[in-house]
Amino acid sequence: MYELARGPLMWAATIIFFAGILYRCVQLYLLTGKKEHALFYAAPVKPRERTPEERKIDMIVAVRNSLLGTHPIMAIVSTIFHAFIFVIPLFLLGHNLLLYESWGISLFSLPEWLIDALTAVFVLIGLFFLLRRMIVPQVRIISTYYDYLVLAITVAPFLTGFFAYHQWFDYRSVITIHMLVGELMLIAIPFTKIGHMIFFFFVRILIGSEYSFWRGSRAWPGKG
Amino acid sequence: MFSGHNKPLDTEKIKATLEQNRGKIKLSQAACASCSLCAESCFLYRGNNHDPRYMPSYKWLSSLGKIYKKRGNVDRAFLEQTRENIWKNCVLCMRCYCPFGIDIPGLIGLARSIYRSQGVYGIYPYTVGAPEAENAHDPDGK
Amino acid sequence: MVIAEVKPLAEIMELIKPYKKVLNTGCGGCVAVCLGGGQKEVDTLNTRIELTCRERNIPLEIGGFTVERQCDMQFNAEFDRMVGGYDALMSMACGAGIQFLAERFPAKPVLPAVNTVFVGVNKEIGWYEERCQSCGDCVLGVTGGICPVTMCAKSLFNGPCGGPQDGHCEVDKDTPCAWIQIHDRLKAQGRLENILKVFPAREWQNQVQGKLLLEEYRGRYVKEEKQSPVKK
Repeated sequence: MYELARGPLMWAATIIFFAGILYRCVQLYLLTGKKEHALFYAAPVKPRERTPEERKIDMIVAVRNSLLGTHPIMAIVSTIFHAFIFVIPLFLLGHNLLLYESWGISLFSLPEWLIDALTAVFVLIGLFFLLRRMIVPQVRIISTYYDYLVLAITVAPFLTGFFAYHQWFDYRSVITIHMLVGELMLIAIPFTKIGHMIFFFFVRILIGSEYSFWRGSRAWPGKG
Repeated sequence: MFSGHNKPLDTEKIKATLEQNRGKIKLSQAACASCSLCAESCFLYRGNNHDPRYMPSYKWLSSLGKIYKKRGNVDRAFLEQTRENIWKNCVLCMRCYCPFGIDIPGLIGLARSIYRSQGVYGIYPYTVGAPEAENAHDPDGK
Repeated sequence: MVIAEVKPLAEIMELIKPYKKVLNTGCGGCVAVCLGGGQKEVDTLNTRIELTCRERNIPLEIGGFTVERQCDMQFNAEFDRMVGGYDALMSMACGAGIQFLAERFPAKPVLPAVNTVFVGVNKEIGWYEERCQSCGDCVLGVTGGICPVTMCAKSLFNGPCGGPQDGHCEVDKDTPCAWIQIHDRLKAQGRLENILKVFPAREWQNQVQGKLLLEEYRGRYVKEEKQSPVKK
């Protein structure tokens, strides 16, 4: 089992991950329509100079209207959680050693005690999300088993990795499970709601709306 | 009365609309992370004591979302029970926020068109006294 | 949709100056769609006012609440339980909604936080254009769906005038000539004869306060005067 997880399944998972992301991006793009309205050209209007008092107020208003202003806890906790999803696997000594052994290349590794601490924090945040989903009424009302399952799939690789590093339980079993759930997570990303990783950037950059990051050159069909 | 209480639904019509919009609905369901961050952006949610039934994601998931999951095989009772989610609980002011850019007003509008195609409409309270408004009530009790 | 634009902050500060506690009322209707006076605009304006008051040491308390729309009295009823605690009400609804609010609470000063600018369409988020001036005598069927009252600078009915240059209005070179557009649209539809006849002069309806009472509802609001019996 170990050999399977370490070898062919890892290949399969990685390929499916990248292919899946590409597939989702293409699918998304094909769903959108071209925006029909051209930008109109007008004589440049120089806006009135904002006073320092006004600029300070503008900044405070911008923060208050942002996610950080409306949901400060979620904004901070969620950012940390999502950052760690990348930072922990990529800068982990154990992973980089494997990479080096296989292909002679590796990324830089953070000190092990640090990654260990970050992983612990990550799992605690996972617990926070679990409790939030069970307790907060507006989250509970739209939660199904699927949401809990996806959370489990996301936290499992990190939890099992933590166990493996500390050599709790039977190492061989734990590390095999770690690899399997890690691969499961990679495969799940493009095809489940974890794909919000892709949707977030794609839709918020591509489609123009009140909350888009830029003007957005595409639109949902019918909007014109 | 108006909605034809015992008339069976024209499921084919529902399925046709779902099929036409399949891509968008499927993607929206896939993208929805059930994060509930859309709630605070709805003034009706805020003004009704944070009642989760006013949350934008709930409004479309409990109507269009359910219909899509059941492949259009819903009954009239379901439509009549959930009609207030997309009519009373939403004015289509188009200001809902979604971190993933899901077009919630578009989905609620689509839900409304499916319900309408089956003769299930929103009932507005201020038509008290009018023949169509037998289920309506005047919130002011006048 | 009615389009409204938030007033400059300086003007709003002037309006609320005499008061200690103001309730900023929002509207979930047209103004929410055109980003003029929905919940987010109420919150944003309140933040600006609070910060400005803090900078200038002005003791002002400002609250905020948004209802479905202010042009229907039943929705304004939601403010009944709140207004007692405030010296004045500010409204981000359109002019019609503001007046209904003022009518419901005649004892409270009601201040507009927006300027209602026109009846128009939502081209894109943040971009709205006027299309209708509510003249009360719609000729769109004849002019191929282009309004000569709104889209022609001179509101001509038997246009164009002699002014257009390169298809654009002599008043503004970025504005297309409405009558040339009307001509082109009707030509493409094969209905050019519509504008070949001369329109008679119009009786402008929009100079008097508009009132509309639908025929089927007339019986509810109008008491018909009884005719005196004719003695034979």
